[in-house]
Amino acid sequence: MDGMTMAEWLDDFLFTYETLIHALGVHGLLALSMYCVMAVGQLSLGQAAFMGIGAYTGALLTLNLGLPFWLVLPLSALAPAVVALVIGGPTLRLSGVYLAISTIALGEVLRVLYINAEWLTGGALGLSGIPRKADLWLIYLLLFLAVLGFWAVGRSKIGRAMEAMREDEAVAGVMGVNLPVYKMGALVVSAMLAGLAGCLTAHSNSFIGPNEFGFEMAVTILSFALLGGIGTPIAPVIGALVLTSLPEILRPLQDFRLVINGLIIVVAVLFLPRGVIPFRLRRAP
Amino acid sequence: MSRLLSRVGAAALGSLMSGSLLVSPVMAQQTVTVGAIEILSGPSAAYGTAIKGGLELAMDEINAAGGVLGGKKLGLIVEDSAGNKDQAVNAARKLVGRDKVPVVIGPTLSNEMFAVGPVTNDRKVVTIGTSTTAKGITEIGPFIFRTALPESDVVPVTLKAAKDKFGVKTIAMMYANDDAFSKSGFDSMKAAAEQLGLTIATIETFGSKDADFSAQLTKIKGLNVDAITISALVEPISGVVLQARQLGIPDSVRFIGGNGANSPKLGEIAGTAADGLLVGSPWFIAKKGETNEKFVSTFKQRYGKDPDQFAAQAYDTMYIVAKAIDTAGAADSDKIREALYKTDFNGVMGPFTFTEGRDPASNEGVVVLSMKNGRFEILE
Repeated sequence: MDGMTMAEWLDDFLFTYETLIHALGVHGLLALSMYCVMAVGQLSLGQAAFMGIGAYTGALLTLNLGLPFWLVLPLSALAPAVVALVIGGPTLRLSGVYLAISTIALGEVLRVLYINAEWLTGGALGLSGIPRKADLWLIYLLLFLAVLGFWAVGRSKIGRAMEAMREDEAVAGVMGVNLPVYKMGALVVSAMLAGLAGCLTAHSNSFIGPNEFGFEMAVTILSFALLGGIGTPIAPVIGALVLTSLPEILRPLQDFRLVINGLIIVVAVLFLPRGVIPFRLRRAP
Repeated sequence: MSRLLSRVGAAALGSLMSGSLLVSPVMAQQTVTVGAIEILSGPSAAYGTAIKGGLELAMDEINAAGGVLGGKKLGLIVEDSAGNKDQAVNAARKLVGRDKVPVVIGPTLSNEMFAVGPVTNDRKVVTIGTSTTAKGITEIGPFIFRTALPESDVVPVTLKAAKDKFGVKTIAMMYANDDAFSKSGFDSMKAAAEQLGLTIATIETFGSKDADFSAQLTKIKGLNVDAITISALVEPISGVVLQARQLGIPDSVRFIGGNGANSPKLGEIAGTAADGLLVGSPWFIAKKGETNEKFVSTFKQRYGKDPDQFAAQAYDTMYIVAKAIDTAGAADSDKIREALYKTDFNGVMGPFTFTEGRDPASNEGVVVLSMKNGRFEILE
């Protein structure tokens, strides 16, 4: 490090990897949002859509109304939660692949809305020039709190009910678990987390467009949870870390980057079908 | 399994470290390295590969002719963005933070530039788009330049040619409304059409991945327009053109395309249905002049295929950057920025200078092309 001080080196290092470090944290939140619905045995692909609502809400509040960030952030979590409450009623009657299809539809409907509501959302050109207000510590504090929260809930009575639902919904229902309340609760919490992640993305990338929160993103979020596993709340976060950092770690491979990236994922899924971290949460005595 | 993973990881980490350790101390002395961010993998890789080809060809010619700053070699690190704006930003941060390049060329797409521009501009690193044609690119900040003619400079030339040569008065306008490139191109077309006093009979939209355009085209057929403008990527344009002829819109109604139509792929997909389509281009392979003929032949020799517009723009950009480094007298971003304003270059695209707003100053080099038998020809 010819003549460079440690501080300068650290400064350059942080600059180089700032976006990646932000993305790791935000994707961790998204993975938890996926975990939240999968933990009650639901396959919802609406996470990207909720993330989009959070991102657009946050960006518009900051750009048009100039609200402070500490106010924008909770409002961006609230907006998708309200949407989840409204659509949760009809969609949560569905299960399995039908729920997945209807939640994909939600993402598509919103995409078309963003494109056509040009006066508000900038249409296909998206919103640019969003001030970069999402600090590193804030992202990781939220991620830490979310993991901690899920851990505490997972070890409690609620967690036991959730696991029962995941293994067999009918049995859990017979045992007295209030299925609709749990499902709705999981969906709303998951929407709030995705909304937070969306708002943080918008305020760290300074640009959002309508095509970023579509089917591709939904599948990416799902793959975080699939690769990591859903036994513990930390597992999907690890899945997100791996899938987000892999393309950057493999950058020196140049042309073979995406090939090796895909290969590693295929091998991991083949040999670790329960995820990279297959353990289950220990329960409180 | 975990052993395999760790081995792959170790190999990757190893090459990562050896890469940065081996390269920096030796090369830093005699080499001025600039960075580029292009799409080298994924569905849009053709654009980035062409650009990379143009940049490297120019770099080797410059180095053969003595390099920059009185004998130093010009180096180039090209990073892949895969067409993803997050990866483009990561690449930019790597080039600026680790490789310490004074100049970043690219990224390929306007969307990527909207994400990369604020980052490099904050760090006061000159960033030059060679293919970013959307509105507002150079408004990102004082360090953002572009050598690509924005659509708003090219489209008026095309529309004027249509008006003057074919007496076009009434037009229908079509565009893909779900893609920033297409929408931005349409905005420029509409402004140009209004300025030329053309009557806009209707504006119809479609999605980039649509396959059926009969509803829009049937409506347009009933309006008896003189021409149809279209702003989209080449695949949907090909579909629209094919269906228009199937629905019986006569050949006398010409299509007028934006930058997306300026691709040999149009002829390959739509064949003779695309005949008569007009498009403006900052560069054309058969453009006269010694510089261009030499560029086309060396490019063909080296890569075994014809250069396209993107390769040509990249080729000129590399020369412009090298000249600016020489004028600046140092590989210093601030000085290079000052030097770029003084650019006065005559390359394959024609004479080139920057405006105060860091856009190309003149659209003199624009040629209007017309499709004939599935190939582009210069409209005489």
